[in-house]
Amino acid sequence: MKAFTNQNARTLDEAVSLAQQAIQAGQSVSFAAGGTDLLQLMKDRVVNRPGSGEPDVLVNLTTVAGLDQVTAGRGDGTVVGGMITLSALSRHPHIRDQYTVLAEAADTVATPQIRNTGTLAGNVVQRPWCWYYRNGFPCYKAGGNQCFSIAGENQLHAIFGGGPSYIAHPSDLAPALVALDASFRVVGPEGERTLSGSDFFVLPPEDAEHENVLADDEVLASVTLPAPRDGMRSAYHKIMDREAWTHALASAAVVLEMDGDRCLEASIVLGGVAPVPWRVPEAENMLAGQRVTPELAREVGAAAVAGARPLSKNAYKVPLTRGVVERTVLALATSA
Amino acid sequence: MSSSRTAQQASQQIGPMDTVGRDVPRIDAYERVTGRATYTRDVRLPGMLYARVLRSPHPHARIRSIDVSKAEALPGVRAVITHETHQLIYSSGSIAGGRQYNDAAKDITKHLRYMFDNPVRFVGQPVAAVAAVDRYIAEDALQLIEIDYEELPFVIDPEEALQPGAPPIWPEGNLALDIENQPRPSGGTSGDPEAGFAAADQVFEDRYTTAFVQDGQMEPRSALAQWEGEKLILYTPTQGISNCRHDNARDLGLDDHQIQVICKYMGGGFGDKNGSYYFDLIAAMLSKEAEAPVLLELTRKDDWLGTHGRWHTVQNLRVGVAQDGTVTAIALEGFSGMGPYLRRSGGIAGIDAYACRNVERVIYPVHTNRMVSGNFRAPSDPQGYFAIQSMMDDIAYKVDMDPVDFALKNVIRPTDEIQFTNYSLDECIMRGRELFDWESRWRPVPGSDPGPIKRGAGMAFMAFRSGVGPSSAILRVNADERYTLFVGVTDVGPGAKTTMALIAAEELGVPLSQVDVVWGDTDLCPYSVGESGSRTTTMTGYAVVQAALDLKRQIAERGMPRGDDVLIASATPNPSTEGKRRMVFGAHFVEVEADVQLGHIRIAKYVAVHESGRILNPRPAKDQIRGAALQGLGQALHEDLLYDPRNGHPLTAGYYGARHLTHLDAPEIEVTFIETDDGYGPYGAKTVGEAGIILGPAAVANAIFNTIGHRMKELPITRAKILEALA
Amino acid sequence: MEGKRENDDIPQGGDTSRSLEDSRGSDTSRKDEGGSSDLSRRGFLGGTGAALVVAGAPKLGSSEPLSGGAAEQEVQAVPRTAIRVTVNGTEHRVDVEDRWTLNEFLRDQLELTGSKIGCNRGECGACTVLVDGEPMFSCSTLAVWADGRDIQTVEGLERDGAVSPLQQAFMDFNAPQCGFCTSGQLMTASALLVNNPNPTSDEVREGLVGNLCRCSNYNAIVEAVLATAGTSGSGGAQ
Repeated sequence: MKAFTNQNARTLDEAVSLAQQAIQAGQSVSFAAGGTDLLQLMKDRVVNRPGSGEPDVLVNLTTVAGLDQVTAGRGDGTVVGGMITLSALSRHPHIRDQYTVLAEAADTVATPQIRNTGTLAGNVVQRPWCWYYRNGFPCYKAGGNQCFSIAGENQLHAIFGGGPSYIAHPSDLAPALVALDASFRVVGPEGERTLSGSDFFVLPPEDAEHENVLADDEVLASVTLPAPRDGMRSAYHKIMDREAWTHALASAAVVLEMDGDRCLEASIVLGGVAPVPWRVPEAENMLAGQRVTPELAREVGAAAVAGARPLSKNAYKVPLTRGVVERTVLALATSA
Repeated sequence: MSSSRTAQQASQQIGPMDTVGRDVPRIDAYERVTGRATYTRDVRLPGMLYARVLRSPHPHARIRSIDVSKAEALPGVRAVITHETHQLIYSSGSIAGGRQYNDAAKDITKHLRYMFDNPVRFVGQPVAAVAAVDRYIAEDALQLIEIDYEELPFVIDPEEALQPGAPPIWPEGNLALDIENQPRPSGGTSGDPEAGFAAADQVFEDRYTTAFVQDGQMEPRSALAQWEGEKLILYTPTQGISNCRHDNARDLGLDDHQIQVICKYMGGGFGDKNGSYYFDLIAAMLSKEAEAPVLLELTRKDDWLGTHGRWHTVQNLRVGVAQDGTVTAIALEGFSGMGPYLRRSGGIAGIDAYACRNVERVIYPVHTNRMVSGNFRAPSDPQGYFAIQSMMDDIAYKVDMDPVDFALKNVIRPTDEIQFTNYSLDECIMRGRELFDWESRWRPVPGSDPGPIKRGAGMAFMAFRSGVGPSSAILRVNADERYTLFVGVTDVGPGAKTTMALIAAEELGVPLSQVDVVWGDTDLCPYSVGESGSRTTTMTGYAVVQAALDLKRQIAERGMPRGDDVLIASATPNPSTEGKRRMVFGAHFVEVEADVQLGHIRIAKYVAVHESGRILNPRPAKDQIRGAALQGLGQALHEDLLYDPRNGHPLTAGYYGARHLTHLDAPEIEVTFIETDDGYGPYGAKTVGEAGIILGPAAVANAIFNTIGHRMKELPITRAKILEALA
Repeated sequence: MEGKRENDDIPQGGDTSRSLEDSRGSDTSRKDEGGSSDLSRRGFLGGTGAALVVAGAPKLGSSEPLSGGAAEQEVQAVPRTAIRVTVNGTEHRVDVEDRWTLNEFLRDQLELTGSKIGCNRGECGACTVLVDGEPMFSCSTLAVWADGRDIQTVEGLERDGAVSPLQQAFMDFNAPQCGFCTSGQLMTASALLVNNPNPTSDEVREGLVGNLCRCSNYNAIVEAVLATAGTSGSGGAQ
């Protein structure tokens, strides 16, 4: 790794201003949360911030007090600090009870060791795991102007929303957060802004280089989860190509608002199949007001993939996605 | 020793012995669980420098110019070497005809491999190396080396490589040269295949492929080199200190005694480390230039691409079968992807486990611009067994036979021409069938469960060589009646040190606690054939027995030594089985549970029955089978190295990319040993280490067929492939 | 077996004859015809082999003198930070380079070589240590980030020269084959047993999923952990 200076920030404002100072001094800067993926990118000299080179400065966010808390508001929902570790998130009783999909998503990330260090923010904003990007190909994600997967090896790439980049979004928390209608609080030199999931994550036509709207001097400080409604239940189901420790081939984050055995409203967000967490409104709408039977669950699965546009080598993701949606919806709706 | 003794009789003659055959903890288990075991990178030498290797980003390219001046000028850099400064042949890397250990073959081979080659022939091939005061400076220095490459046409696929017009990697083309430097396939014909096919009632043809599998041992390779005058001291994780020393000596132009190879502990061998490596040479040359010890640490990616793995294959099989299910003829046309240098044989085994003598094999070891293939635990076997046993399993169903019955009808058996030191293959199969409860797990109609969760079962059987041959041991006793055993093993994991000590203790008739083992240092230990090819227990172990017998004779003649005296016995036996085949036999039975909607495979039950002679140390022997079977499972379901054919670049190097098994991927493997004593080896012991890996892909693939009703003909059998097959 | 050997070849009669070729053999340099000067633009394995000249680390003040060696060029100074960290019960106040991983600090500075590097990329678990009682990949965190924390490595599992019950079980159950993953497995298992003294087999496998074993001695490792579970001794974790 190139030599760099670690700077421990004590407050979020200090973190942002340290980053700003570095940028103004012509240095390359990265925020460090758990740092597990950041260090790998640095060791491999993969371009993390296009145009900016390997970091001269790391701004440590884990030293910022209070950025890792879960604060349940009364009626206002729950604020989860960006620096909470994935283990702590998954163990937190309030998250596990009220926002199960998020706890379950955190559980599926990588390994216990990584979950003990990795954070919510780090997981949400991690860079893609496309093998071209990670092997140093000069693709969109590295600031280049092409995607090597479209006419190449695209077994793990997107079946929705792809083009000009076809990466699959690598985060497990992201689809869970979007399914929960979470809002994302971004803090930067100009102050803070709160964004919906659809505004936070960006599709390639809008910006092929980045997966979200964070600028180099901005931090995902927290997410806010709306207060759970009555009868709300949720689950996350992740499909991998070994039993653990890989990114999703396909995943489903499902939130259902049930009234007895009738589903009032549904949120279904897919992971591992699109450059952003992929909402499937046609499938969601089929559930509104319905009793969830196996037949309906099958139709919901089919609707979820109706718009799929597989590439040359990832057609298998279509039945896989259909299956995981059908199974998760049915299991969740019919669980006690 | 009567060779007509059946396995049953042989088993009955196995009686307990005093020391071998009982569970004993391994001699160095304490060092391994307390962090005290010194692997190569744990050795610290004063003034040690750190080295890094720069590697080719192209699959095939000529280096027009290389400018290291900026790298040399970087403060902290002590040496930079390239193909321009050092033209060392790396002779252990490329062998005519796939023969190793043979100096004569290496003299004549046309396709030389160098420490740094020009042209470079695969992504990852070394082009330069730097030694610096710390590893960061060494890495930074790599960035400063300027190379002008002329990219050349390349070829990735072995079948394409043999087509007319394919880019030639060597002047003779892309078919590897044999022992006579001729581009000819290996194989041969036995019996009369033409007549056999003519006599068949049905002839079946099919095509199977297997993927490249990297050894993936947990210790990333390194070499630590230090010169004392003209003597080189080399710490390196090798399976064969003697071969490593000899190979390096030849390449460096030294006498064997001018090199000391030290390997006390190494983190995984698996068969391809019984010799030298080019990075031994790189470390040695950097150390000479810098006049300081140099530790060359390969990154995991360096290790992945810059060493070797199991050759991938394409196999076209033809099998003739008579009405009653007897196989009348077998023909194999195989292609083995070897990379640009023929390091090992490229063979494809498995057909010999069948009785059919009308066999034609034509096997093409092919050069490609991919990383180099090498030996990995039963190098020719899992690939070959997967294909032939899938094919035979398929045929069993087509001729309406239970696969176990078909197997028993067609397994190799002793005949007038073929004699074994002992034979137990049928017993392995029958015992396995019983332990596994084949009748209730196997589905007569494949894929017939209603689903989406389906179950089914498959099996495979094997016969694998467990030869005898030369090795050495030295045994010494002092006045305190402490015995010291000197053997050239390094203990890659199966517990060889302990096994050798057990044998010594047994033969000497003393408690294990009175035996010390000195190992892993060429200055102290006698020649060893090295720990690969399933030889340590049988060959080095046999040498230990002979040395112990000699020492006992000396003690009987002269009495125990007194004072500072010692008695020393040495032995370098070269036993033979007088023309009889000495084999280990086995059968694996697997039950699979498949979720066909999601393409998911779970192993519900795995039974492995093995006859490996007398088991000297039960627990490690069982774990060798369990571990090997799990490696076979990894090969069956997950492992691959994906290349992008448009640019010749490997995309999935590393544990994450290759999807190696985790704890959650590893089912329990149930192991049963059928113990025998055929009168050879130490106390009838045979090989255990390689046997367990051979049947994993075949048995799992056959189980998957029975479960989902589709024959999967390409390894690895991934979720994606299953979903595509069922779509 | 007829025909050529299909497996790797076995030496015939112990051929150890030496052939003392001149290994500084043929000159392989080739004279090239002209051709386009097409420099590679791709980086590879942490270093570009191409004409991209990357500037060295920024100068940050006075350089350090060399340790040993005759040449008197000065190595550029690298940012360092003073940290206080407890390792296996002993407090250390040291200066570390900001870029050192925790693993490098433990192995190279404290000479605790029991924690291994298997991949240096968070893909294998051989480097697992406990940080404030929780398993982490020491290759994937920085020494400076360990400031103020409590680290336990495999060397710290012993008490008064006696191995922990878990280490004893590993020995009894042949859990190390080549031994390279063993330290990491022990650390993760130690922490697991503190939090879950009576795990099921599935819980053991889930807890240890971040520790690969290529020897694939998974069955034996699980048996060793289960055998330790429920005993009065801990895995050794604090």
